[in-house]
Amino acid sequence: MKIYSVAEVTGYLRELLEADSLLADLWISGEVSNLLESAAGHLYFTLKDEASQLRCVLFHRARLDLTLENGMAAVAHGRISIYEVSGALQFYVDVVQPEGMGILHLEFERLKVKLAEEGLFEPARKRALPPFPQRIGVVTSPDSAVLHDIINIISRRYPLVELVLAPTPVQGDGAATGIVQAFNTINETEGIDLVILARGGGSLEELWAFNEEKVARAIYASRVPVISGVGHDTDFTIADFVADKRAPTPSAAAELAVPHRAELEARLQSHSRALVAALSREFAQYRQRIDELTRVSSMHLGNLLTISQEKLRGRELKLGSLSPLATLERGYALVQHAATGEVISRIDHVHRGDAIEVKVSDGQFKSRVTGSKKGLQAWMNSFPSKKR
Amino acid sequence: MDEQLSFEEALNRLEKITQTLEGGGLRLEEAIALFEDGIRLAKICNEQLNAAELKISQIQTPFEQEQESKDESP
Repeated sequence: MKIYSVAEVTGYLRELLEADSLLADLWISGEVSNLLESAAGHLYFTLKDEASQLRCVLFHRARLDLTLENGMAAVAHGRISIYEVSGALQFYVDVVQPEGMGILHLEFERLKVKLAEEGLFEPARKRALPPFPQRIGVVTSPDSAVLHDIINIISRRYPLVELVLAPTPVQGDGAATGIVQAFNTINETEGIDLVILARGGGSLEELWAFNEEKVARAIYASRVPVISGVGHDTDFTIADFVADKRAPTPSAAAELAVPHRAELEARLQSHSRALVAALSREFAQYRQRIDELTRVSSMHLGNLLTISQEKLRGRELKLGSLSPLATLERGYALVQHAATGEVISRIDHVHRGDAIEVKVSDGQFKSRVTGSKKGLQAWMNSFPSKKR
Repeated sequence: MDEQLSFEEALNRLEKITQTLEGGGLRLEEAIALFEDGIRLAKICNEQLNAAELKISQIQTPFEQEQESKDESP
């Protein structure tokens, strides 16, 4: 036999209690009494029924909107353990709801709050869907109407993808585990860039797998974005909150997953039209430039011509001043032998009786030499003498 | 090598080409080459859309393996 210390016993009890999976996660209903709020904001109360009572503590961080009151019939979720300092058995509560809700609703609300606090629903962590996915993982039950709908819709809208089916039960025992395993398999498969998680409509019980924590965590941990399409428009599951994109139905999930063929064809057409328009515009601009260049160059050519013409006229004028015609105009005459055309510029060139030809500015006449005299003195003297 | 372009790549390239051509300021040979490229890409996209047939494959999940072993045992 051994003698134990008190702490050893309470410590041992605590280990025992905390090793028990039922006591680690359970809902308890009862009437609230002895309600007390500590300065730190923790709530201490007792849950009791006709036969028994249980001490409860609700720590500040886990508080809900609900205002607890003595005498209230409530349902609380939490774990059972021992507070070693006082040796008292305690119910460590994380959620309290008024009594009257079904257990699934309670569980749904509890998990929703818990995962929201953990940040699993944060809009900031939602990933964008690939605009043109190439391999889409489909997590749903095989041979279901849902699967056929998804195949039909995607085949009609955008047949350029490969659907990779990851079959799993989506209802009943093992559904949640199956979904988690399907996600694991998909994460290990190369090239998948999007996952559709789908199930047709059903009751809260039938859709329950999609409200289980491990499914939520599998979606959160998915390597690629997840679209959820579970149940009908009005059904919201925890999976919907965690998914990167929530579709109201499985068909809507398929539609969200791929672009629409008609839309793509319209886009291609508008691009083709834009290309033709842009090239025509380009051509028109070039044509305009060519026109301008032609105009400009012909203008230059015209200028050049004018300049040449002016130069030519200048030359002509100069030429005119050198011409013997101008000299003749001034009263001089050109005298040539009529027979030879030899120009007579000296008196020795002529003899009495020679036939000569005299050219003046506007004509010519024939003449005969009747006499000649050398020296210019006599000719000079014939001019009237200048008066000094 | 163009035949291996994915639809997305072809469409993205087409979009860029349209933008460049609409931006203008190109040499005429460049504009014509881009135009030809663009029309060819649009054709590739259209052909892919028209020719494609949805591929479906299935990966082995533990659930499937269980189903199969159940089917085999009488």
